[in-house]
Amino acid sequence: MKRTNRIFTILIFIFLYIPMAVLILGSFNTGKNLALFEGFTFNQYKELFRDKDLLGLLGNSLLIAILSTATATAFGTFAAVGIHSLKPKMRKAVMTLTNIPMTNPDIVTGISLSLLFVFIGSGMLGQKQSLNFWTLLIAHITFNLPYVILNVMPKLQQMDPALQDAAMDLGCTPLRSFFKVTIHEIMPGVISGAIMAFTMSLDDFVISYFVTGTEFVTLPVKIYSFTKKPIHPKIYAMFTLLFLLIFVLMVAMNLLQLRGDKRRTQKQAKPPSRGMRTFQRVAAIACVAVLLIGSFALIATTRQDKITLNVMNWGQNIADGSDDTLDIIAAFEEAYPNIDVNYAEYASNEELYSKLSTGGLVVDVIIPSDYMIARMISEDMLLPLNFDNIPNYQNVIDTYKDQAYDPENKYSVPYTWGTVGIIYNAKYVDEADVTGWDLLWNEKYKGQILMFDNSRDAFGIAQYMLGYDVNTTDKAELQACAQALAKQRPLVQQYVMDQVYAKMEEENAWIAPYYAGDAMMMMENNENLRFYLPENETFNLFIDAMCIPSCAQEKEAAEKFINFMCDPEISGANMDYICYGSPIEGATEHMEEYLAESEVIYPPEEILERGQSYGFLPEDITRYVENLFLGIRVGKTAEEEEVQSSGSALPVVLTLAGLAAAGVFLCLPKRKRK
Amino acid sequence: MKKNKSLLLSGPYVLWMLVFTLIPLGVVGYYALTDPSTGVFTWGNLRDLSLFLPTLGSSVWYSLVSALICLVLGYPVAYYIAHRPPVTQKILYMLVMLPMCMSFLLRTLAWVGLLESNGIINQFLNLLGIPSLELIGTPGAVILGMVYNYLPYMVLPLYAIIVKIDNRLIEAAEDLGCTPVQVFSKVVLPLSMPGILSGITMVFVPAVSTFYISQKLGGTDTMLIGDVIERQFKSAGNPNLGAALSLVLMLLVFICTGIMNRFGSDEEGGVVV
Repeated sequence: MKRTNRIFTILIFIFLYIPMAVLILGSFNTGKNLALFEGFTFNQYKELFRDKDLLGLLGNSLLIAILSTATATAFGTFAAVGIHSLKPKMRKAVMTLTNIPMTNPDIVTGISLSLLFVFIGSGMLGQKQSLNFWTLLIAHITFNLPYVILNVMPKLQQMDPALQDAAMDLGCTPLRSFFKVTIHEIMPGVISGAIMAFTMSLDDFVISYFVTGTEFVTLPVKIYSFTKKPIHPKIYAMFTLLFLLIFVLMVAMNLLQLRGDKRRTQKQAKPPSRGMRTFQRVAAIACVAVLLIGSFALIATTRQDKITLNVMNWGQNIADGSDDTLDIIAAFEEAYPNIDVNYAEYASNEELYSKLSTGGLVVDVIIPSDYMIARMISEDMLLPLNFDNIPNYQNVIDTYKDQAYDPENKYSVPYTWGTVGIIYNAKYVDEADVTGWDLLWNEKYKGQILMFDNSRDAFGIAQYMLGYDVNTTDKAELQACAQALAKQRPLVQQYVMDQVYAKMEEENAWIAPYYAGDAMMMMENNENLRFYLPENETFNLFIDAMCIPSCAQEKEAAEKFINFMCDPEISGANMDYICYGSPIEGATEHMEEYLAESEVIYPPEEILERGQSYGFLPEDITRYVENLFLGIRVGKTAEEEEVQSSGSALPVVLTLAGLAAAGVFLCLPKRKRK
Repeated sequence: MKKNKSLLLSGPYVLWMLVFTLIPLGVVGYYALTDPSTGVFTWGNLRDLSLFLPTLGSSVWYSLVSALICLVLGYPVAYYIAHRPPVTQKILYMLVMLPMCMSFLLRTLAWVGLLESNGIINQFLNLLGIPSLELIGTPGAVILGMVYNYLPYMVLPLYAIIVKIDNRLIEAAEDLGCTPVQVFSKVVLPLSMPGILSGITMVFVPAVSTFYISQKLGGTDTMLIGDVIERQFKSAGNPNLGAALSLVLMLLVFICTGIMNRFGSDEEGGVVV
């Protein structure tokens, strides 16, 4: 019995630690794939220490964790003392309040705080950037406070009240008796609360994800955006180092505690030795110093003379210096030393739209696609550009000027253009099946097909296949598309955006519709991948263009950035990495030859003629399509949904009210039976 | 004097918590009842909720199953740890807690590497001559992810309760002629009930609201309510519907804790991990 239990426990520990072992092994791998160990190397660690951005993010996380823990510990300890001396009824009410963030799901806490900050900041105070460092700090303090309170309260209850009375009898003021007596009695609780708060704060992802803006991002939030793409193994190296650090900290903590326990069991309580005292003092001073330095560093960064330019772009959509390409951002910062670029990413036009319309962000340059530009113009979300500051606009090829999405060319400057086709793995997919969009509906490849996880591109494919206009506002046609997509759903492995890279390159899926440039990048990493545009059907021809959203703060710097990107040399160097077509005259001369001549990037004229662009859709149709797509994602067929949206809200409201009543009833204190 | 002091000390805290926990929940309610484009009052968001009933149902189902699996896996472990010498207990406790301090995103990502069709487990199976299994993208993978991530939340409260059970009670039961099975079912299990209840809550609440695990380990059929909410805020551009869904989620958790309160002891503060 005991032995089986021991073996079982060991197995569970293996289960808990295997994924971490996989990550640690991954940090010594020469390749990028976790599942394929190619060779041993320390290079990932070198890469890690070379990456200042990543270390900066770790610094951000530490800063937030230290500041919020310190504040919450001090604030919470005093509050706990106060709560302890409240009347029982009041105390119970306050403890219920304390338990709210503990029992509420993180996602609800995060959402509610972000809505509050946006509501107050953007709605009432008219702030542009209502989600910032301070909101993040407030959120962390809020979820840290209960940990401190719940750890300190039991210690206060255990404490003998006579101790404090004795101190007062001996002439202490209440304040003095607190510092001389109470604080020492509750110290273990304070420390364990602080440690818990610190680890929670350092590793928090969900709440931070909803309350961070663009200017101040913590490591877990950034890791989330990393994990959508094939992740760089230097992240695993960082994981390994953090693992070691936390391991050492925990062991040290336990050793200290054990020593403390031993001392307590010895009858004669020895006062701390002189060495220990100095150690404690030094430790305290060190803590304060770290705090001060942290705060000063923060003030220093905010008081820079440099302008911060917030650029938001698609994932993997700018040359970043890897694989011998030009680091465009660094080149720009070199050309304009007083501008500091803060770069963030989004995975789809819809995500960008959500981020901007929810508010709370400052973004100076965005690069949406055609139809989204049209939508943003119609909703007053873009600022007209001052073309005097963009002299390089003359380099833009005429074909890409005056497009339907921005007829007078007031708001946008083209960045790239490209096509949407199908990327497939020739090792598994029969060439005979590769003809048109119907490959994505081919039963033979069930479970190996990926599909767009955004409504416009997914519906676009259905529209091209069924021969409808991509800009249709006919609900019957949209219904038919929804049905086609619902029929495809059982064959689809997953709906993806940036995740397509890892899935296709590692051959965990065989077929995916995606953008030509990205397909080209994947093909460079896996030679079995091919890209094609359907032979006889239409397909999407798109332009991504640089715009300045109305929440921008540095319009002039933003225009400088746009101008910089229109330089043929820069645009060409950029295309070397992102593999799209450049709308800039002469850019191809600065590109690598095989890219400039690639038919994936620059398809022949006769094929390009079949391309169609997405245009503007009215808001109700956009929402209608979005809801249809959501229905497909959660597995509801189109007809069912139609019935529901015309139904009444009464049943739902009644059910909710009933549930709420049940909850209240259940939470009422139990009546004690005599 | 004393009354003043306690109010002075707890007042700012109560104010802080009201402003940053209760009022935000009110704001969620406000968003749930207004139209996304016009901002006027509407029942529309609540009406659309019925579309997500199956999603909500499967979220609850997956998280209940994982809470139960966690209980079955976690109980023997907690029991084993609680019956070690103190120093070993400390070490094992630390080893259970350590994974909780590491990035759960990366740990979930490691499971992707393990479960993928060309992943480590399938490579291993192929080596043994067994054909590859379809592991990722199944409900099983999502439940595995939940169990893996939240198992420590089950073990720690269970351990905290089991370690407090007085050994003399067990000895007494044995002296009175109980078989080991009877000792367990009549003495140990009833006494560890508070730990079981708080463990189930601590696994269920984060599992039912998760949005990362299903995105990474699930397929097209395993979209959970957390994913839908995240989508409304981050890509579908409809925070109002997202707020309505969060309201439902909140209610669900409220009821769940209510049930646990009903059956559990009403010890103030409860068990904190």
